[in-house]
Amino acid sequence: MIKKINILILLMFVVNVCYSQKERKVTFVGGARSVMTNNRLVVNDTIAEDTSTAKRNTGGYALIDLGVNIKPNKNTEILGMFRIKNNFGGFWGSGVTFDVRQLYMKGVVANALRYQLGDLNLKQTAFTLFNHHADAIDSLPTVFNLQRNIVNYEKFYQKNTWRMQGANVDFGISFKNIIKEINFTGFTTRINATNFSSVPERLMSGAVIQIVQSNKLSASYNINSVYDVKGTVLDSNSFTNKVQTIDASYTTKIKENNLTIAAEIGNSHYAYSVDTLAPHLKDYFIHASASYKIAKYHTKATIGYLEVGPEFRSIGAQSKDINYNTLPVYYDRYTNAQNIRPIALIDLISNDNIYNRTVSSKLLSENAWYNNAMPYGLATFNRVGAYGSIHYKKDIDAVVSYYNLNEIKGQGTLALQNFSILKCNAKIPLQVYLKTAKKLEVQLGTQMQNTNRTSAVEIENVTFKNTQYTAGINWEVFPNFELMAGLVSQNAIGTHFIADRNVYTEVTYFHQNKLDIQQQMKAVGLMYHFSPKIYLNTIYQQSKFVDGNKQFADFNINQFNIIYNMLF
Amino acid sequence: MEKNLSILLCAILFFSISCRKNKTQFDGPSINEIYSDFKIIDSFKINKDSVNFTNAETAVFSAKFNKIVDWTISIYGATSKATKIISGSSKQIDISNATWNGSSTVFPIFNTENCKAILRVKDVTDSFMVSTKIVGTKKLDGFMIADFETGIKTGWTKFAQTGANMDFQVKSDSLAPEGKKYLSMAGTVEWGWLIGLIDFPAKAYGTSPVFPLGTNPNSEYFNCLIYGVPSTNPSLVLFQFREDENENGTFDANTEDEYDYQVTVDWVGWKLISVKYADLGYLVNGAPATPKGNGLRDPNKLTKISMLHLADPNDGFASSKLDLIIFTQNGPLQP
Repeated sequence: MIKKINILILLMFVVNVCYSQKERKVTFVGGARSVMTNNRLVVNDTIAEDTSTAKRNTGGYALIDLGVNIKPNKNTEILGMFRIKNNFGGFWGSGVTFDVRQLYMKGVVANALRYQLGDLNLKQTAFTLFNHHADAIDSLPTVFNLQRNIVNYEKFYQKNTWRMQGANVDFGISFKNIIKEINFTGFTTRINATNFSSVPERLMSGAVIQIVQSNKLSASYNINSVYDVKGTVLDSNSFTNKVQTIDASYTTKIKENNLTIAAEIGNSHYAYSVDTLAPHLKDYFIHASASYKIAKYHTKATIGYLEVGPEFRSIGAQSKDINYNTLPVYYDRYTNAQNIRPIALIDLISNDNIYNRTVSSKLLSENAWYNNAMPYGLATFNRVGAYGSIHYKKDIDAVVSYYNLNEIKGQGTLALQNFSILKCNAKIPLQVYLKTAKKLEVQLGTQMQNTNRTSAVEIENVTFKNTQYTAGINWEVFPNFELMAGLVSQNAIGTHFIADRNVYTEVTYFHQNKLDIQQQMKAVGLMYHFSPKIYLNTIYQQSKFVDGNKQFADFNINQFNIIYNMLF
Repeated sequence: MEKNLSILLCAILFFSISCRKNKTQFDGPSINEIYSDFKIIDSFKINKDSVNFTNAETAVFSAKFNKIVDWTISIYGATSKATKIISGSSKQIDISNATWNGSSTVFPIFNTENCKAILRVKDVTDSFMVSTKIVGTKKLDGFMIADFETGIKTGWTKFAQTGANMDFQVKSDSLAPEGKKYLSMAGTVEWGWLIGLIDFPAKAYGTSPVFPLGTNPNSEYFNCLIYGVPSTNPSLVLFQFREDENENGTFDANTEDEYDYQVTVDWVGWKLISVKYADLGYLVNGAPATPKGNGLRDPNKLTKISMLHLADPNDGFASSKLDLIIFTQNGPLQP
């Protein structure tokens, strides 16, 4: 620990020398956060009163992310960011951690080729490399969104990117005639390191060649490949998962309105080279959509067609951000039997421990409580159907979307499941209608998912409903001082089947699962903005979990948080 | 140009939509089968009334069910009380998942005796039984270091401390997991960790200064059976493997490799210990250290094995038993 602190002091000295140069070559970036939390658990176990679990829990931490951005010349930039974190109660080695949080170098070669080495935030298309956040709540009230933003910061989530480590290059060529430009992007990252014994070195490489014909028409070839590096272990069996796609987009004006037609088609190959038990999975997908934006009515209407084959596999696009097999941070076990507490709404919203930073080689399990219809987002395999949405955005920002999908291949039966999703979300700035300068914003949202399967054999029938309601208010009482409140309700009721999958992602068994889960989160909070990047926030929230079938004991978690957050 | 590309795009889409074949199969096992009542379609059978494992014969069990079930076959030796357990999850029991080569799961090892095999299916109360007879026991393939059937062999070096309640003798009783004899080790030594040791030099097995093992450390497996005595302090059994790297017939502790494998005996009953030669480490007072020779694990240069029975002097009396020290190739011993 002392050694690490000496290194930090030495680094800061070097930085200080550089900083004092005439031309500013060194800048500091980063953030700081302090969280104090007080939790209380109430267990309603029908078997016996829980006398084994400590019900009160207080804690928190303070951390600083100190990044040094060095520009030795106009074409090169280096960022190193350290994190010092002190759990409350810790001092000099006890509870204090010192980590490197970010490290990358980037620059431009010959004013043409951009490169970045080290930490990368990567994204390709929705079927090659994409973090879908499939189980995220679309219309999360601001009082909860503040906590979710901390999760996003901790896991480096920037919209739909995954955090990876490796090298990335891109460059473009412009033309005078026929084609406007061609852009190339390529990267190689490490998925997992070898242990020189049983775990091979696994890499992901990807490339995009984009042809921009005009501002109206563009097309891309995308490839993403995950593969084992031969020779890193004695075992000659190696894994590959290659996805290739072509996408195109055409936009045209019809009077003052815009019509956009976009499509992506592609295929995947998932195989092991030597393992005779492993299947060779090959399949394809089609995604096409048309959007019409009516300027006069501030409205955009979209219709789309989606078909993803049952054996389409894409590690980059089917990695889930949530690992439901992880234990939650608070009260991971409860009841006298010390059963594992299920991942509840409160964990989804505020527990960064259950979230993955990067892609996973293994197909992570889905959780029907939160998303049964499209657990891997648009890249969910074995789905075919259509969707449509209408988006109105003027003062009110409202979206209504509807998906109707079917399975392509039956699961444990020839009868196919049908999935429907209806989403309605709105953000209403009441201050516009009340004609006041102070912000008064209301958020409303609902999502209803239905899963049905009707079979001649009664046991195969599926009737499952998953509903979600959200409501939130955000009122600027005084300048920079906001009062917030929010509610999220999530129910999962019905009967469906959970598939056990082997390491090759093949189904080996089906467990019938009867659910009657009702969850609710309520919160009130106050927030004071010292500046747009610095705020102090207090939140009191109640989380309620009720299982009508009593597979899990009911519980409530009440939480009081004080959060101070700043970015610089 | 734009128009042509748009037409091409639409054509590709329509072509793609039309080319998926109708699926007549489904993923995974049939849900109807999984949730139907269990039925046995072909009864539980064994293909031999008597089997001679010495001649590399095998016995094959068979049965067929109406659905995939979790099943377990437990084979019991009538006189030895040895047990072999075969389990699986399938719709059919056959040569691919229920072949018995005479090996044991729970010691002792099977003898020439009558055996009964009981099939149990998860969540089914009925069980199903067949019988067979072992007329020849399974041959133990490998290079035998010690089975103690002829006592302490000439050429081995035995040392035992003079503590209290000392026992460092070959015994013959019903506890023997293989054959009739085993090494019993016990005692209280208040002044040090060592209770007793036996050196097994390669020259005790012939004229060669090294054991007849292969050159690939990933193919050579060291195995032994260790018995944890109930209600005693945990013993440590330490095996030392000394290599004669320069092939001069002697081991130099300062310039040649010694590798170690230490076992904390914290269980009750007999247990098979198997370790790949490539996975052996070098220990100094129980802590990993760097070997003093070339650092390469060379089983073909192994010149001496030592077995040390150790215990924490602060704990007092410790006891364990040992049998069947054997090297096997290409995998752990299947006794």
